[in-house]
Amino acid sequence: MNLYEFSYGIIHWLVDLVNHLWYWLGDWLPWALGDFFTAVGDFAASDGHLSVMTMLLETLIIVIVALINVLNFLWIFRKLSGRILDFYGPYYVGYRIGGWLQNLADGMKLFVKEIIVPAKADKVGFLLAPIIYVGSSLLILATIPFSENFGLSTNPSGEYVPAGALFAIAAFAIAPFTILLAGWSSNNKYTLIGGMRSAAQMMSYEIPLLLTVASVFLLAGSFNFVDIVDMQHDIWFAIPLFIGFVVFLVCLMAEVEIIPFDLPEAEAELVEGWTTEYGGMRFGLFYMTTAVRSYAGGALATALFLGGWHGPSFIPDEIWFLIKAYLVFTVFMWVTWSLPRVRIDQMLGIGWKRLLPLAVLNLFIAAVVKSAGWV
Amino acid sequence: MAEAKGRTTGLVARPLWRTGKQIVRTLILGRPNTVLYPHHKLDLPLGYRGKHVVDFKRCIGCGNCVTICPNDCMWLEKLEDPELGKIERPGIDFGRCLFCGLCVEVCPTAAIHETVEFELADHERQKLRSGPKELRDDTYADKIPEERPKRSLPVLDLSKCTGCEKCAEECPEICIAMMPIEKVERSKPEITLAKCTSCGKCVAACSEQALTMMDVYDSYFDMPEPKLKLAECTGCGACARACPADAIYMLEMPGTEKVLKDGKKGKPKKRAVFVLEKCVGCGRCFRACRFHAIDMPGVRK
Repeated sequence: MNLYEFSYGIIHWLVDLVNHLWYWLGDWLPWALGDFFTAVGDFAASDGHLSVMTMLLETLIIVIVALINVLNFLWIFRKLSGRILDFYGPYYVGYRIGGWLQNLADGMKLFVKEIIVPAKADKVGFLLAPIIYVGSSLLILATIPFSENFGLSTNPSGEYVPAGALFAIAAFAIAPFTILLAGWSSNNKYTLIGGMRSAAQMMSYEIPLLLTVASVFLLAGSFNFVDIVDMQHDIWFAIPLFIGFVVFLVCLMAEVEIIPFDLPEAEAELVEGWTTEYGGMRFGLFYMTTAVRSYAGGALATALFLGGWHGPSFIPDEIWFLIKAYLVFTVFMWVTWSLPRVRIDQMLGIGWKRLLPLAVLNLFIAAVVKSAGWV
Repeated sequence: MAEAKGRTTGLVARPLWRTGKQIVRTLILGRPNTVLYPHHKLDLPLGYRGKHVVDFKRCIGCGNCVTICPNDCMWLEKLEDPELGKIERPGIDFGRCLFCGLCVEVCPTAAIHETVEFELADHERQKLRSGPKELRDDTYADKIPEERPKRSLPVLDLSKCTGCEKCAEECPEICIAMMPIEKVERSKPEITLAKCTSCGKCVAACSEQALTMMDVYDSYFDMPEPKLKLAECTGCGACARACPADAIYMLEMPGTEKVLKDGKKGKPKKRAVFVLEKCVGCGRCFRACRFHAIDMPGVRK
């Protein structure tokens, strides 16, 4: 049973339950009103309504799973950063489970804080930017399946969104635009510099990133996550395309904007960068969204290079996928707390002088491997 | 980019290797260095300046600590102790104490010590004031190793001394001199403490047991010395009663007896005599004298 069938079953059961009421009302009430309720019941039972509601429920399930994972990721982030910097990290809130509840407590505290809009800020842009940022970051997860049975699909056969990988990459790239919007509308020199840096940074990492992804598409011959993962049943793409994998991880860190590449935030130079004027729960949302994007990045790296949900069958497929995504995230954290921040004038040099030739070389290797028929 | 040519790999790999070792150390092999304070306590060193304790048996109640306190947060309190009788011991207001440790250093008998106890916070300002009873700990000073330098020195009890000069003859360093006391027609041994080698021969020579060897702590501070203006002294004995170190003796001055109406002689006048080797420089005699007969430069009235 895949996610679509599961959701469809729940929606069908709910609609049947409620339709009892509508049809009973339709029978009981006078003619015009009764016809109306009967029509409501008919509409609820129609195929179009059922499939739309099913997809909404699927989305809800995927978002909830994503947010639970995000809590784990934040916990790993804080715990691991603590251990690397020789302190304990979250400890007391949720003592028995290693301080796991600390993020919930922090979120609760941020919820009760006041929302402050600077007097000279562009109000529409200021309030719109976080929504687009968080929304687009959650959108990345829409097409990434955890297994053949767990992912957002539009029909009972379990076929996922065609060109899902392309969509995920595209959704990933929306964020710099919102960062620029937020930086501009905050009307603050630090936020503006942060926003501009985000756009400048995107110029440098996006091209090598897409070239390495293109090499994966070349080998797999498909834009679909399920096909790409199935092609890795025998050998992970990370092995023939090792250079590409490394380039992809580096570009992904730039995409997620964690520390070696967090130029738009750069708290040593720009206060808090483009998030300077955002306080309270908006700050919390950005904090959470960084974890969402790390999670999406880990999932992308897993699906494209690390064989997705393939693994020994004593662990369920979905868990395999998550284990790999968590490992990628852990490597991210390791790099984050090891390396100093790249300077803004070095960023383009790294992207175009170092990563781009490697990405092209990787594309060449992929072409050779494909034409020789090794994969 | 140009200057980092050829070293880029090392610049990335070496920090990763370093933090990798750190992860293994803190996550797998052991624990982080941080001490989880309320649950686990840090082992503080002996010289830590925390809450004070006062050894009631060592303390003589001289009030040097009260005088030297830069924040004026100490005071002397009169107590009735079943063992020690009527005594005066210091109390401390921890709300104002800056834990400078001057009171510990100035104490002539090393009776006051600072412990490693530092959790002194309270909800009320008044509760931060610790009287002598809260500070009392008669065993603490004996438990810790002595840090103050001390010497074994002969200490004179002038009431037993006969002025026989045996100690001055016996002293190999010639640091004991018999000094005549003005108007008393007696002399007392004065010991130059800088030259004394703590040999103890003077104590052995004394037939009256007026000299005893006692442990005396060296002072880091300049000690003000009392000086008597003999013309003003009435012989009332207030200074001798006030002296916490028993360094003042009231001696009779022969030849000052008043002839009473019935022709008999009355009691002679008395004067104060200071044994400066025992003096702790507290200035209590100076404050006790109502006739301005004692001069003590550098002491507040």
